[in-house]
Amino acid sequence: MATKKVTRKDLMAAFWRYIWMSQCGWNYERMQSVGYCYSMLPILKKTRPGKEEFKEAFITNLNFYNTNPVVGTPLIMGAHVALEEAGASLDTTEGLKVGLMGPLAGVGDTLVWAIYNSIIFSIGSIMSLGGNAFGPIFVMIFIFFPYMAVRYWQYMWAYNQGTNLLSSLGGGAIARITELATIVGLIVVGGFAPSIVRLTTPLKYSQETTLAGEAITQTVEIQSSLDSIMPYLLPALVTYLAYWLLKNKGWTPVKVIFLLIVVGFIGGALNIFG
Amino acid sequence: MRILTALILAAFSYIAIYDMLSPNFLMLARPLVAGFFTGLIVGDVQSGLLIGGTLELMALGVYTYGGATIPDYTVGAILGTYFGKGGNFETGIALAIPAALLLTQVDILNRFLNFVFVHRADTYAEAGDDKGFDRMMVWTSHMIWGFSRFIPVFLAIAFGEPLVKAVSSFFDTFPWINKGINTVGGILPALGFAMLLKILPVEKYPAFLILGFVMFAFLKMPLVGLALFGVAVALVYQYLKYEKKGA
Repeated sequence: MATKKVTRKDLMAAFWRYIWMSQCGWNYERMQSVGYCYSMLPILKKTRPGKEEFKEAFITNLNFYNTNPVVGTPLIMGAHVALEEAGASLDTTEGLKVGLMGPLAGVGDTLVWAIYNSIIFSIGSIMSLGGNAFGPIFVMIFIFFPYMAVRYWQYMWAYNQGTNLLSSLGGGAIARITELATIVGLIVVGGFAPSIVRLTTPLKYSQETTLAGEAITQTVEIQSSLDSIMPYLLPALVTYLAYWLLKNKGWTPVKVIFLLIVVGFIGGALNIFG
Repeated sequence: MRILTALILAAFSYIAIYDMLSPNFLMLARPLVAGFFTGLIVGDVQSGLLIGGTLELMALGVYTYGGATIPDYTVGAILGTYFGKGGNFETGIALAIPAALLLTQVDILNRFLNFVFVHRADTYAEAGDDKGFDRMMVWTSHMIWGFSRFIPVFLAIAFGEPLVKAVSSFFDTFPWINKGINTVGGILPALGFAMLLKILPVEKYPAFLILGFVMFAFLKMPLVGLALFGVAVALVYQYLKYEKKGA
C-alpha cells in the first residue's frame, strides 16, 4: 500500500480552484483547458515533485478540454486525482479526460441545463410573473445547495472510486442514469413546450350564405377550428420548425432567433398572429 | 446619480457573467435572477420580477451547449428592468430583446479574444512558472468576459436616456410595433425547446415526447405534476427493461 501523496487539504484546494475558476479564460481554441489546468495544479505539484516532470504535466494539462462544468468536470477531476496518486502516466490521465469529457457533456447538459434548470426556472418565472418576489429566491435556493452538493459529492465519489471508475462507468451505471434523465426530459419538454410557447391567430373566415331565404354572414374563427383539431397546434408546429432547422438544416441558434423575430414581428404587426 | 446606478449595474453584470463562468452559486446571469437584482438596485422589484420572468420564459432551456453563443438575456434583463422601471413594461421588453441580440456579437468576440490566456498559459507552463499562471487566472482570466458586459451596460444606462425616450415615444405612435414584439416574445421560447430537443434522442424515443405533450395539452396536467409523472414513467420503463428479466 503506497502512502497517500495527496492530503485532504490538496484535495480541497483543487476543488475550490475548480469552483472559483473552472471556465474563466474559456476560448474557442482550447475551451476550458486553462481552468482545468489551474484546478489540478496543487495535485500535480504533490504527485510530481521533480521540476521537469511537473513542467511536463503542466504543459499536457493545457490540452483542449470541455465538458459540462456542473455534472462532468468534478467527476473527471476526482478520477484524475486518484490516477495521479496511483502514479499513472500522462497518457493515461489524458485518456481519462478525453474519454469522459464527451459523454459527460451530453449527460451533464441534459441533466443540469435541460431538465433540472428548466423545471426550477419555469416554476420561479411563473411565481415572478404573479408578482411574487419568492420566485427568484426559490430559484437561487434550488441552485446553490443542490449544485454545491452534487459537485462535491461527484468529486469525492470519483476520487474514492479511483481507478475503478472507468470500469464502473463501462458497467452501465452512467448509461442507465442517462436513459432515465432522457426519458424524464422528453416527457417534460413535451408538456413544457406548449405551456410556454405562445402562438395564436385572430384570423376569421366569413362567408355569405342564404338560410331560409335570408342572407346571413357565417363567421368561423380559425383559432377555434385549430383547437378542435389539436390544442396547442401552432406552438407545437413552431417548435418543430425550430428543431428541424437546428437539427436537419444545421442552422445556428442565432439564425433561428432572427427568423422567429422576423416571422413573429411581421405576423403580429399584420394581425395574422397575436 | 445616474452615473452611479450605471456603475453599480455594470459591476453587477460583471459579477453575473463571472458567476455563470465558474461558481454557479446563484445563476445571477439568468434573466429571472438578474432582473430581480436590478429591480432591487433601482428600487422597483415588481418591474424586475415581470421583466426578468418574461425574459426567463423566452430563454428557458437556452444555455451555451458546447460553448455556442446565445442571446445575452443577462444584459437584456438588466437594461430592460432599468428602462422599464416605473411601469414601463412594454418599453423595457422592447429594449431588452434587441440589447440581448446585439450582445451576441460581443460574446463571439470575447470568446475569441480569450485565446490570449491560453497562449500566455503555454508560456508559463514552458517556464514551469505556476505562480505566474495562478496570478493570471485569479486576476485577469475573467476580465475580457466581464468588461465585454460591463462597458455596454454602463454606456447604455449612462448615456442611453435620449435614445430610450425616442424609442418609447416611437412605440406610442406605432402600436402595431408592440403587437409584433409581443408575438415575438410568445414564439421565441420555441428556440429553447428546439435546442433541448436537439440534445435529446427524440428519434429514438418519440413516444415519451408525445406522452408529455398529450398530458399537458389534452389533460391539462400542471408542470410539477408532469415532472413527477415523467420520473414515474422512466422508472417503470427501466424496471420493465432491466429488472423483469431477472425476476
